[in-house]
Amino acid sequence: MSKRECIAMLLAGGQGSRLGVLTKSVAKPAVSFGGKYRIIDFALSNCANSGIDTVGVLTQYRPYLLHNYLGSGSAWNLDESDGGLFILPPYATQTGGAWYAGTADAVTQNLGFIKQNDPEYVLILSGDQLYSMDYQKMLDNHKRHNADLTIAVMPVPWEEASRFGILTTDEDEKILKFTEKPNKPDSNLASMGIYIFNADLLVKTLEEDAVDQTSEHDFGKNIIPKLLDAGKRLYTYEFNGFWRDVGTIASYHETSMDLLGTKPDFDLYDAEAPIMSNAGAMPPAYVGPDATVDDCLVGNGSSIYGKAVHSIISTGAVVGERAIVQDSVLLPGAEVKPGAHVVRAILGENSVVEDNVILGSVDQTKDTAVIGNDVVVGKGEE
Amino acid sequence: MEKLLGVITANYSTKYPSVLSEARPAASVPFLGRYRVVDFALSNMVNAGIKTVGTIMPYNYRSLIDHIGSGRDWDLNRKKGGLFILPGSAFGTSRTGSRFLLRDLEYNKVFLKRSEAEYVVLSSASFVYNMDLTKLIDAHAESGADITVLTQAAKAKDVDVTGFKVDGTRVHGVKHGVEFGDVAFLDCFVIGREFLLQLLDWYEQTDYLDLFEAMAADYERVNVQVYDYEGYVAPIFNKDTYFKSNMDMLDPKITAELFPADRRIRTKAHDNAPAKFETGSRVSNARVSGGCRIKGTVSNSVLGRNVIVETGAVVSNAIVMQSCVIKTGARVENAIVDRNNVVPAGTELRGTPESLLIKEKATD
Repeated sequence: MSKRECIAMLLAGGQGSRLGVLTKSVAKPAVSFGGKYRIIDFALSNCANSGIDTVGVLTQYRPYLLHNYLGSGSAWNLDESDGGLFILPPYATQTGGAWYAGTADAVTQNLGFIKQNDPEYVLILSGDQLYSMDYQKMLDNHKRHNADLTIAVMPVPWEEASRFGILTTDEDEKILKFTEKPNKPDSNLASMGIYIFNADLLVKTLEEDAVDQTSEHDFGKNIIPKLLDAGKRLYTYEFNGFWRDVGTIASYHETSMDLLGTKPDFDLYDAEAPIMSNAGAMPPAYVGPDATVDDCLVGNGSSIYGKAVHSIISTGAVVGERAIVQDSVLLPGAEVKPGAHVVRAILGENSVVEDNVILGSVDQTKDTAVIGNDVVVGKGEE
Repeated sequence: MEKLLGVITANYSTKYPSVLSEARPAASVPFLGRYRVVDFALSNMVNAGIKTVGTIMPYNYRSLIDHIGSGRDWDLNRKKGGLFILPGSAFGTSRTGSRFLLRDLEYNKVFLKRSEAEYVVLSSASFVYNMDLTKLIDAHAESGADITVLTQAAKAKDVDVTGFKVDGTRVHGVKHGVEFGDVAFLDCFVIGREFLLQLLDWYEQTDYLDLFEAMAADYERVNVQVYDYEGYVAPIFNKDTYFKSNMDMLDPKITAELFPADRRIRTKAHDNAPAKFETGSRVSNARVSGGCRIKGTVSNSVLGRNVIVETGAVVSNAIVMQSCVIKTGARVENAIVDRNNVVPAGTELRGTPESLLIKEKATD
């Protein structure tokens, strides 16, 4: 392989258990989002749009759909004979095999991949975040500071800072302190879990961490504090755009709704940095003669005969005659049969809400209704 | 050994110098917002398990190459076989009425000779249908015919469709144009590869003719059988059939037949966001492609990718192709608006149902 300046390691093995039925059969990075995408599209598109052409995708939990979806990487312009997208699942050696025990351990187990590519820098990414970022700018920042490690941060509201890993910096963005979920935060810069390491330092640190019996092999808990203690040059890179980690059903729903409205927080139509996806060819959406569609994102292959308001109607989804869908997300292939009402709900892929069923509630104090993939909701089951 | 070889004659234009063919060959005319006409011939072949497809190029091949590329979207980027870009014989000319010019096949004899396939399936890129071609191929193999042509009883008069004179299921003549009820040729046929090469030798002296014209005196000795297809078919030869076939796509029964989940029509992949229907938009009976953003009113229309319909704009009974912008208060009615057009605020592009207005492609 020819030498690369920077390669990416994309952590995509997480289960995302707090997403409940949405991740029952697929890994979180493979969960559908935004009408036609899967969550991992965002990180992969960022790589492609940032000119990073070698990406190792570390998979583990329920990888079938994810692997199938990634394919050769061609959907993200990442199919190259020398580089491109590599799927890196846990593997066995002469001395046995093990699951990835933590974020750092997952990378440690693939140090061979990093060494083989011999880059100067390694970008560590999470496959379950929604944002658009030019990593090249972050790399420029890293080089300008002559840093050993750069951590992408974003300012969060002070009252929420205690929920995040908080970085305290000097006026030159140099990191002085890292505190995981501080009770009394002295900074509001939250780590986004996006790191650029000098490759040599990463390899050395992870090799040491691997034999440390007390380590949990986690970047946030172990690696960053260790490098800070060792007096390494750690810097932040401040990001001020749309960024979400959809950890829960509620945040998944809220983030989906953020895509709607006249001026949404996230611009899916940015021609400079398009979000790419591996979508099969479907005919354009069909809107029937008596349909009403108001403030919706509508994917190809979908059909709307009834009323859809402030909702996401994903690829191949159907809203039947006289049906009403409001403040909801229909994942690909979901079908709302005639006369059914679906309010503040997430319908899993290829799920069905039968005729005249009423699902969900406008009451904001109630939880968002969620139907798993392939589930059929009949009358009396709602 | 692969049993089947495909050839698509994508190098013909229609004789109407209109928005639909002047700027681009018939094969790369947009259809239903996101497709090109050639997608149907290519997909039908690939869906029938044909893994080697030669595509004969028109002289103005830029748009077609741009669309099909390496054939990846049809799984035709293969180590062995896959998509072959073949030259057309007559650069710069388009002989109307012919879709299987002998000279084009003669010119690509090497492609046919190098293959080890038993059968060759040939198709033009002038029709929209989604058919399981294995049925045609099986029927051909079973009947022992020399050639089996795909046909359908003509639904309307069309001077550009080739007709067959038929006795039972056997062809004994060919004619230009069809009337209602005639046996219309869907420009697709299957033939033994060896026999096709033999025919090319027979008719070497008259290679300026279409294969089916050249055989005129030989239908008694060459056994040409028809295979009747009953499904949805749209010929795309002039602006009226073009408009009508696009409007047919507003009938969900037809689109269900044309785009079944288990036999996809493949096309070039694009990274368009889902369509956005803004508050205040009013859309009824319409097909809306990815990347569209709609604030105005759209009815009985087909919108291509990335079309913007601004507040107060009205699109009615129209085809609006990709990347057009219909500005505030503008009105588009009974029209075909080719790609990249900006319809200025407050202006009108208005035809009548009998006489559609055509707005030609604007430059990128």
